[in-house]
Amino acid sequence: MGKRRPVVVLSSSSSEEEGEALGGSATGGLESSRSRSRTAQPVSSKRPRVGSSKSRRVSSEASPELEVKFDLLSEDFCECRHEFRITPGFTCMDGIELWVDKHKPRSLPELAVHKKKVSENVMVMLMLFWQNPYSLFFISRMVEEVKKWMEERVKTPKEGFGNCALLITGQAGVGKSVCFCLFFAAVHVIASQLEAELCEWMTPTPTLWQEHIHNTNSEIRYMSKLDEFENFVEKIRKYSLLHPMKIGGSRKPVIVLIDDIPAAAGRVAFARLNKCLTSLTQSTQVPTVILITEYHKTESGDNATHYWEELVSSLERAGAYKVAFNPITVNSIRKTLSKICQEEKSHVTAEWIDQIAKASGGDIRHAITSLQYCCLKPDRFFSLPASTLSNSYGEMNSDKSNLLSNSSLEDGNPDCKISLPCGRDETLTVFHALGKFLHNKRVAVDPCALVAAVEQDSFPLQERFARNPLKMDTPEKVLSQAHGQVQPIVDFLHENVLDFISDDEVDNVWLVTSYLSDADCLLGGVLRPTKRQMIPEVYEVESVAQSFAASVAIRGVLFANSKPSPSRWHTIRRPRLWQVEQSSRHNKTLMLLERGETYNNSSLCSMSYIAAECRPTIKWLRARTLLDVHKHENHLHYPEGEEDNSDWLLMDKLKGSNSEESEEDDIEDW
Amino acid sequence: MGQILQVPYPLPSLLNPHLHLVKSPLFFPAFPPLLTPLLLSRALSLSLQLLLHRAFFPLSPPHPKMLWVDKYRPRTLDKVIVHEEIAGNLKKLISEQDCPHLLFYGPPGSGKKTLIMALLKQMFGPGAEKVKLENKMWKIDAGTRKIELELTMLSSTHHVELNPSDAGFQDRYIVQEIIKEMARNRPIDTKGKKGYKVLVLNEVDKLSREAQHSLRRTMEKYSASCRLILCCNSSSKVTEAVRSRCLNIRVNAPTEEQIIKVLEFIGKKENLQLPPGFAARIAAQSNRSLRRAILSLETCRVQQYPFTANQAVLPMDWEQYVSEIASDIIMEQSPKRLFLVRGKIYELLVNCIPPEIILKKLLSELLKKLDSELKHEVCHWAAYYEHRMRLGQKAIFHIEAFVAKFMSIYKGFLIATFS
Repeated sequence: MGKRRPVVVLSSSSSEEEGEALGGSATGGLESSRSRSRTAQPVSSKRPRVGSSKSRRVSSEASPELEVKFDLLSEDFCECRHEFRITPGFTCMDGIELWVDKHKPRSLPELAVHKKKVSENVMVMLMLFWQNPYSLFFISRMVEEVKKWMEERVKTPKEGFGNCALLITGQAGVGKSVCFCLFFAAVHVIASQLEAELCEWMTPTPTLWQEHIHNTNSEIRYMSKLDEFENFVEKIRKYSLLHPMKIGGSRKPVIVLIDDIPAAAGRVAFARLNKCLTSLTQSTQVPTVILITEYHKTESGDNATHYWEELVSSLERAGAYKVAFNPITVNSIRKTLSKICQEEKSHVTAEWIDQIAKASGGDIRHAITSLQYCCLKPDRFFSLPASTLSNSYGEMNSDKSNLLSNSSLEDGNPDCKISLPCGRDETLTVFHALGKFLHNKRVAVDPCALVAAVEQDSFPLQERFARNPLKMDTPEKVLSQAHGQVQPIVDFLHENVLDFISDDEVDNVWLVTSYLSDADCLLGGVLRPTKRQMIPEVYEVESVAQSFAASVAIRGVLFANSKPSPSRWHTIRRPRLWQVEQSSRHNKTLMLLERGETYNNSSLCSMSYIAAECRPTIKWLRARTLLDVHKHENHLHYPEGEEDNSDWLLMDKLKGSNSEESEEDDIEDW
Repeated sequence: MGQILQVPYPLPSLLNPHLHLVKSPLFFPAFPPLLTPLLLSRALSLSLQLLLHRAFFPLSPPHPKMLWVDKYRPRTLDKVIVHEEIAGNLKKLISEQDCPHLLFYGPPGSGKKTLIMALLKQMFGPGAEKVKLENKMWKIDAGTRKIELELTMLSSTHHVELNPSDAGFQDRYIVQEIIKEMARNRPIDTKGKKGYKVLVLNEVDKLSREAQHSLRRTMEKYSASCRLILCCNSSSKVTEAVRSRCLNIRVNAPTEEQIIKVLEFIGKKENLQLPPGFAARIAAQSNRSLRRAILSLETCRVQQYPFTANQAVLPMDWEQYVSEIASDIIMEQSPKRLFLVRGKIYELLVNCIPPEIILKKLLSELLKKLDSELKHEVCHWAAYYEHRMRLGQKAIFHIEAFVAKFMSIYKGFLIATFS
């Protein structure tokens, strides 16, 4: 098994045109649909990113010659290309294309979703690559001038390029890659006679275990993907492998695109990745574009989110220019969807488009796929009354939707997919959810209106029980969106809720704590669970009890904190309880060990006796007899005897390191 | 030897000779649980439950010197000072060659373990004192899964002692497995008759419901080959079924006079000059726990000797800490203060002070500073949350709820009275 060469070159040279032709014929059926959309810029309709996989044994010594060879190999290239379309959004064999690809914007003006960002983006890129502020006019009308300038630029490349790294971030499906590729294509249109190359890092396919075993047997050393990536970056950095000047006579401007950053798990791997990318940013001579998908905006329960943030910020510090893409607005998505509908001649009502747009959470790729799915089976899909749909996605929760989401929660099916089979479930971070619960924001309602509403409901409440409606979904839904486990959520609430209660409200404090106490009883009542030893049947019961406990805790906190302290910035602390439990367990085992070693003469004694009576006495006695120095400064810091000193220090150290470790571990869990 | 605490109800088995003929302990009449009516009241049950210490023994510290508590523990039933009558009755019971299952219960520091150990010695002779401590791994096949449990046990050829509640909620497996194993290899006594082994289970009141149920079944099944001696603080937490299968022996807390006697006895042995009234003060502070009194005496001895009449008897360090917490609570009632209190309680928990004891001590400290009008209500809530603590997992939630409730009550009271 040869190692796949991690460099993929996209070239817009004339030989590439052949490739395009070939590829086009391979996917012949596309032509018609394409021609519709590419009125303005025929050349850009070519899919700009083309991959190639070269099986090569030796890649560590990749030298400029490889690049030269590359053109010669363009025929292979074309063959492989077809497969490699998979990367930018794949095309099916039989000419049936996903709408996502079919309706991919083919030109910059078409990229309606975020015009402003695009123009900014293009501007920035031009500034980066050609260091010419006038490139601002690029899009508008200064085509000739830019063209002229670019020709100059390419002919006489300036030394000391300055910083030419661009960092594009944004959540999944906002069109980062598309945007960049379009830009590249656009440049290409203008400078079609320039032979610009796009050089892209292609993540090698992950090695399967069997494959790995096979490789080891055939004595091929395994190389981690991160290592490969590091090598790649090193090559770019040190040997200027891709630097235009080094390639024989052909002066192709090269743009390096790093789209798929290798997955790095854990702190060490991330530090390596970070270092690698940072040094690349600092020293690269070639325009480099790094695309990073932001997870932390949407996904929760991902350990690595804060690593990504770290990465982004350190790249920025290293001088990369950051362009952040916001999630696409519902309006833009709606517009795009209806345009696609027109083109596809499928009749989807505006209401449905609206729903899909809302449910997509700013992810246009997802929205388009959903739309396609909807159009597959319009009968079934539209037979549902739209009202159920809007209910489950309703912003303001009526009682009905409460019930609906409750029931779906108990089914263990947290997402309200009943009505919209293809919605993208919105997720929240646990901290976001906790923030919602703790801040307890409510809609200010005029008391008279409230009374009127209550009368309508014919379910009168005493005033002290009445609360304004919440400014969020039902708590259970929020919890399920955050993928919150019950016990940690309750612990977090317990740790933090006191900060959110205003100082005078002692009664509310009691109410909150009593609800938490109830929740704890619910959690503890059904067989004390250990996670690994659950019998399925028991598990069912527990999960019901647990979701009840979560409801009690959350709603308790929401209800009881009737007068939250004026909102200000609170950091949410990690429950200290965890640390306490851990070190108390640790101490307990120590004591039990001690008991085993020392009190062997007659009979066993209980924990409580050791902890509460025996130990303090012994400590005290020894302190008295050995050194009379320590007074009770800190009552729980037992004065130590000489021989004991080391022990205790060790224990403290142990405790310290343990708790630190655990802290980090736990934080990673969040 | 001084006063003997009366066994509060007649023990029919000991008084009625006919009953001795019945070999199986199962035929013993079910004794009325002693304090049941009293225990029904929650607040009272709290006070009993909260005195959760147990056991009165050995703890030879790494120090060569033994604590007085161990040094002066009576080794035989004849030498028992405090519960002479119980000791006498037990002796008679043993001499009949068979003995029923026994359940000892009473507040901590009252001498249950002393009695049990003396009883074992009476039964088996000095062999009962040759014990070895082992950490045994139990592999239990529980239907769908295998459980591995590690438990410390103390055993001689004649008896095994363990704290099944150390196994947490898997205690029931321990109870079943160990009794099964014990029944398998029962000793044969000198006359060639099959003897029986004794299993001493501590902290039975901390066993889960399930464990107590399986205890009941195994008790019946293996009654021919082993006898159980159960030991707990509060019989109200032991199921009716288990209680009815045992001879219930209530070990009362010694009176202050008895404690004074013991202290004077120790003083004499140690050649100490006890100033008049000094022993009485220690006894008064001991909360009728003999063990506590002896420990206090020893600390006082180290602290200052010769004793002075007005020498302070030091409380345990954690007790001082709890009283600090109590004054914190009295001083201010606010979420911030509650947060501070939480931190302090965490410190106690880290040092493994059982939460029940913390709550109990906190209550008594709070009661000291409280208007009597509020006492009843506060006690009620303490009992309520103590109960919940048993139901739940995380003690801090419940202690905190109690503190918050107290704050709320107390603040309401202050506002009503003073403004």
